Amino acid sequence: MDLKNPVEQAVILLRSRLCNPNFIFTLFSDSPDSNYSKLKYIISSSVTESCNNSVLLLGPRGCGKLAVLELVLEDLLREFPDMISVIKLNGLLHSDDNCALKEIARQLCLEHQLAFSKMASSDENSQFLIAMLRECGLAHKTVLFVLDEFDLFAQGKQRLLYSLLDAMQSVTSQAVVIGVSCRLDADQLLEKRVRSRFSHRKLLFLPPSREDLQRLLEHALLLPSGSDLPHEFVANFNSNLLNIFADKKFKDIMDTVFNTDSTFKQVLTFLFSALCHLDLKCGFLSVENFKDALSNIQRQPKLECLKDCSILELYILVCMKRLEVREHETCNFNSIMKEYKSIHDSFQTTDYYARDVCRRAFEHLLQRELISFLDNRGHGHSIEFRPVKLLISWQELYQGLKSYGSCPAILYKLVERETTT
Amino acid sequence: MSSEESPQITRRTTRLSAANSENAVDSSKSCALKPLSVNDLLYGNSPISLEELISSFPGRRGQIIELMSLLGPVNSPMFPTFVHGGSSTGKTSIVLNIFRHLRRPFVYASCITCYSPRILFESILNQLMLHRKSDSNGYSSIKRCDKPSDFVNLLREALSGVIGTLQGNAEKAGSKKAARWPNGKMVYLIFDSLNLVKEWEKSSTILPFLFNLYDILRMPEVGLIFISNNSLDTYYADTGFVEPFPFHFPDYSEDDLRQILLKHQVNKNLYSSFLDVVLRPFCRITRRVNELSTALLPLFKKYCEPLGDLGAVPNEDMKRKLYGHLQRHIAPSLNETFRVSAGLTSGASRSKDNKRKGIVKKLEACTSSYELDFHMSTSAKFLLISAFLASRNPATLDASLFDSTGGSDNRKRKRKSSAKSLEQKETTEQELLMKGPGTFPLERLLAIFQCLTSVAEYSPDAEYSSDVEGQGNRATMGDSGYIGSHVLLQLSSLCNANFITKGGSCPLEGSTRYRSNVSEDLVLKVARSVKFPLSKYLYRR
Repeated sequence: MDLKNPVEQAVILLRSRLCNPNFIFTLFSDSPDSNYSKLKYIISSSVTESCNNSVLLLGPRGCGKLAVLELVLEDLLREFPDMISVIKLNGLLHSDDNCALKEIARQLCLEHQLAFSKMASSDENSQFLIAMLRECGLAHKTVLFVLDEFDLFAQGKQRLLYSLLDAMQSVTSQAVVIGVSCRLDADQLLEKRVRSRFSHRKLLFLPPSREDLQRLLEHALLLPSGSDLPHEFVANFNSNLLNIFADKKFKDIMDTVFNTDSTFKQVLTFLFSALCHLDLKCGFLSVENFKDALSNIQRQPKLECLKDCSILELYILVCMKRLEVREHETCNFNSIMKEYKSIHDSFQTTDYYARDVCRRAFEHLLQRELISFLDNRGHGHSIEFRPVKLLISWQELYQGLKSYGSCPAILYKLVERETTT
Repeated sequence: MSSEESPQITRRTTRLSAANSENAVDSSKSCALKPLSVNDLLYGNSPISLEELISSFPGRRGQIIELMSLLGPVNSPMFPTFVHGGSSTGKTSIVLNIFRHLRRPFVYASCITCYSPRILFESILNQLMLHRKSDSNGYSSIKRCDKPSDFVNLLREALSGVIGTLQGNAEKAGSKKAARWPNGKMVYLIFDSLNLVKEWEKSSTILPFLFNLYDILRMPEVGLIFISNNSLDTYYADTGFVEPFPFHFPDYSEDDLRQILLKHQVNKNLYSSFLDVVLRPFCRITRRVNELSTALLPLFKKYCEPLGDLGAVPNEDMKRKLYGHLQRHIAPSLNETFRVSAGLTSGASRSKDNKRKGIVKKLEACTSSYELDFHMSTSAKFLLISAFLASRNPATLDASLFDSTGGSDNRKRKRKSSAKSLEQKETTEQELLMKGPGTFPLERLLAIFQCLTSVAEYSPDAEYSSDVEGQGNRATMGDSGYIGSHVLLQLSSLCNANFITKGGSCPLEGSTRYRSNVSEDLVLKVARSVKFPLSKYLYRR
């Protein structure tokens, strides 16, 4: 093995931990009323009792629904080695029924070492599915269907859902349908006949509490003693980390992270960013790394965009704002130019440019998506006549002007005046 | 040659296939490109060091170091990263050069060239499966793939193949050839210009799919990098998507711009003194490198005019003189920052100057040119004028404007404008500003065109006598009332040039309506060039 220095090895180890959701969620799988145990109980009872079941896992994005499901499936595959076969579908890929049936057939063939034909029609695939369910039922083998992005399957005619849930109604089949969705009302999207066949079991996944977050930090970042890193380095790293955790500034940073967005994904992104800022020369994490990570995740994209604008583009934005304040329902490039001219006439600014130049600046603003056209289909009109609207608020514009640096004072005056009138 | 051979061929062949059968022998001798290997997933032939990388991108040191820390040491997994920033800020080139420095294998797909999901998927698969499109396989991709579900399955296979090869390479690390091999066991997928995907038809499924690709694949040996012009908050999705790690490339500051523009100049001191004068005003308009460099080029030529020796290092005195010479050119040049020159060669412009010496000085002073700087045929010019009049004037006025006397009634009754009529004038002016030019059907356009051409006095003058097309068109102008098919062809070429747009059709009438898209300045220039009294026909409210 090539000799990497231990810092690099430690960084690689920690990064692979953070990018691996299975590792993170093993922490939360021990308590008896966690979602992990409930889910495991539901599935294992339907496997052992040879009955059909369906369950929905709901929760905002980044709360570990799929990760916990993967852990449960791993454990069950170890416990009941030949009694389970898993079919995984994703709403983004397989929302079309034909695609979904083809994918189910492909996965079933893969698992049972059958030859899969890509040319099979969807009728053949669905008959194959029903036949396989019957065979698996006779062999006391449970088929688990995992439907990720469940709400996307519920668009359209819901034929796949109906056929799956209907096939489960027969006595000979043993199947469990597990739906995963970020929409909390995913079961309301189901048609009446589908919903009646669906057992209304729902497991809610929530973002972690503050104490869970603390446990997560230690679990993720403390180096294990059993790895092939030098013991001294591991001990130093861990003690340094524990000092940081006890630091008041760090606690404030963690409170900020928790208060803004406490889903697992956000916390993991924060930790990843802190890890990227780790100074390889000194080899340990520090509170500054976490501070940099906090500013990384607390971005204000519109402000950054405004700082990138040129002064002419700022003029155009201020003109649009003034027109908006005067309650013109729609404005287009021509009315903005009129306003621009009137500002120049009344204040004698130095920045008065020709119409072509202003039009190109206007197009830059459209590209940056600080303004946009009101109608999507109006391609008949030239760019000068199509109505546009501002996509930033007055506060963002004002803040952007303040942080611009070399912004001409006239623009401040114009924007400020509008707020007072 | 083929005509001699054709009697000998008994079955019917086309001339093309006969010609091809002769060339078939040559194609087999054509340069056989060697098959691709994993080593071709690198960028650039020779690696570059970190100092070279940082020095070749002035002002981007922070971004380079931070991006490299995001990628991490060799073989470390990473979160999908979303690189965003304005255009021409160096995102693509920096990402590719970082990969060149790190010597890690990657697959690059740009959504400009891959303009549909199928092309995007097939391009990535071709690169991963080391497939080159060539004559032997009929320039086809290795696998046909247009659905995301197929793409994921094929991608998994392809990625495992490449990662397996890389792992095999890593085990043979001691051999001499290892120096040219890529580093590490990870493969990176780079999606460039992602903001163009928002305009695709299936963008509402493809965008969340691409962002969720990392979670769907669940392969820690794959890294994803997205590059886009807009930030992540402009990507709307109904139920959201897994957000990648955002990374911002801010636009260059003035100092950075100065360093970048100085980089490839021969005489840095001269250019630096030029930039001292010029950069600040131009930066108030735009800070994009590509636009600034094209705008500053003609101005620099003017700056260097009084200098005899272009390699001279200017001292303070010379700088002041050069500035004095340049000063009056800066303001007009600012107003032409985005102007694309018509490409007149220096020879033509000089000869033109010799003819009209008197007007030249006056012309230089005004910002817009007096004459049309591109060529249009005479009938196209009249068609454009007719279209403009049709858009501007209401249809009810046509009868009075285009009557047999061939002129408009300019007897304006002088009335004292009351407050109400002034207000009305203002609202109509506002309406004109907001609504834009009106639409007209084809018949109205052709009717106006006929009237104009039958009435127009076409007196050829010294300039036009050399114009061959003018002579040809005089014949058609002479015949009254005859509109040939060439007029309709001219109309379609005007539509293609976006001077006239085809609007939607009125549901009652069912015919398409057109709208004129040109500004009044352009039409005035065109009218002047055919000596047409435009102002007589324009309806002034």
